[in-house]
Formats: sequence, C-alpha cells, structure tokens
Amino acid sequence: MKMQNSMDLSLKELVLARLDIMPPNFKLSVGDKGTFTKQELMYHVNEGDSIGVQVIEMQLNFIKALTTGKLIEAINKDE
Amino acid sequence: MYDDCTEYLSAYASLVLKEAKKLGVPTKDLSEESANKKEVEKFITKTNTKLFFANGHGNDNQLCGHKNEVIISGDENADLLKNKIIYARACSAGASLGKKAVQNGDGCFIGYAHLFSFWMDGKWSAAPLKDKTAAFYLEPSNEIVIALINGKSSREAHEKSKKMMAKNMKKLLRLEEKQEPSAMGMLQVLWNNYEGQVLHGNKEAYF
Repeated sequence: MKMQNSMDLSLKELVLARLDIMPPNFKLSVGDKGTFTKQELMYHVNEGDSIGVQVIEMQLNFIKALTTGKLIEAINKDE
Repeated sequence: MYDDCTEYLSAYASLVLKEAKKLGVPTKDLSEESANKKEVEKFITKTNTKLFFANGHGNDNQLCGHKNEVIISGDENADLLKNKIIYARACSAGASLGKKAVQNGDGCFIGYAHLFSFWMDGKWSAAPLKDKTAAFYLEPSNEIVIALINGKSSREAHEKSKKMMAKNMKKLLRLEEKQEPSAMGMLQVLWNNYEGQVLHGNKEAYF
C-alpha cells in the first residue's frame, strides 16, 4: 500500500516527526516483523511498505483515541 | 538465534516462572528447541495442563515457537486449547485463533487483536530486565499470568493488566508534560497494546 493523498502525506510527516525525536538508542519491536531503530522505521515509513504502514496505522489509531477521548477515559477509569 | 523481541519476552517470562516457583505451581518451560509443535502437543495432551502461556510470534490464526514453527493453528490443532486458560503474548492471535480456541468450551483466551509492540532501549539489549523502557509494556503483560496463578479470575487478570497499562500511560503523559521527547511515542505504542488486549470465552475462569 502506497501513500497517495495529501491527508496521507500529512500523517506520514507527523509519523516521521514523532519518530525523529525518539532517542537514537531506542528500538521498536513490531511483532513478527522485527525490531527496528528509528532510522529504520523512518525508512519504512518513507517507503510506505508494510512495516511503514503498520507504524502509520498505530499513529492513526492513537490520534483517534486522543480525539475521541478514549485515551483519557481509559486513564481516568482506573483512578 | 533469538531476535531482540523474543529475547525480551523470554527474559520477562522467566519472572513469571520465578513467581510460579515461589507459589509452588508446577511449570514446564518449553523454550528454544523444545518450543516446537510436537513437544507442545505432547505436553498439552499428556498433562492436561490448565494454564498455557505462549510467548513469541503469532498472527491472526497461529502461534509460533522456535524458529517461527507454527505450534498452534486455528485450522489444525486449536481444539487442544479448549477448556484451557490461555495467555498469548504474541501478535494478533486474539483476532481469530483466540475465538476458535474457546469455542464450545469453558476456557478463555487472553491475547491481542492486533500487533503486540514495545519500545526497548538498545543500551539494555543484553540485560532486558534492566530496561526501564521495555518495562512499561512487559510488566503489565506479565501481570496477567501472575494474577492468574495468584488465584484471580481471567476477567480480574485481564483488567489488572489493563489497569497497570493505564497507570503507565498516565506516567508517560506526565513525562510528556515535562518535555520528555520519547514520552508521546512510547504512549502511542502502549495505547495500541491496551486497546488490542482482548479476553475471549469464560470471563470467570480460574487456574
């Protein structure tokens, strides 16, 4: 799946910016796809390959949780 | 040879084994070469074990063992898990396999409907249990089995783990307020695990 429209491009930019501020020694384990440094993740996001799409989907899912209030609800539920 | 992910999962699983030993709960550690389909099927069939903790890679319909050999498949041997309490710390098996595993039985399946992911600090790759970054994700997942062997129901174990994740998400939000650059990226991944964690089948199953 390749990034196509301007909304996708904005999301991609956001994901890249988010990854860029992660510490260089951090690595993300993305299930059976492997474990990746931030540079590797940024490469996959730029390529728009299956790993990149997975990372973008995680970001999208998180944005939805923020905007719908699901994240705050989950955090406050257990207070 | 293990990848970083399975290295971390194994290190955290050792804490669960330690807790089981402390409680006098008998365990069988099918790790490395013994994490193969033949050994797993033999063990489940012969011992009639009640609790099955899978730790490794997976997908919608499968759980994998050593060198990604499929050990449980929804198309082949998922019925072996019928009436068991299963926790699969593996990607996506909660989406389809988990539902099949609890069909027509009184067991339960706790797992993830999508990817189980976590950040780790590469400085601690050789000593995963010292990695405070990975602990944000792996301690709450360990809590599922720890709660079960301490007498909690499947629902309580599932909720306790989610509560720990919520607490960790709150800690990350506080770090974000203090301008910690990695906090939001870490929170995003933890949210995905939180949202993806599912409990299928008997919600009042006890070990």
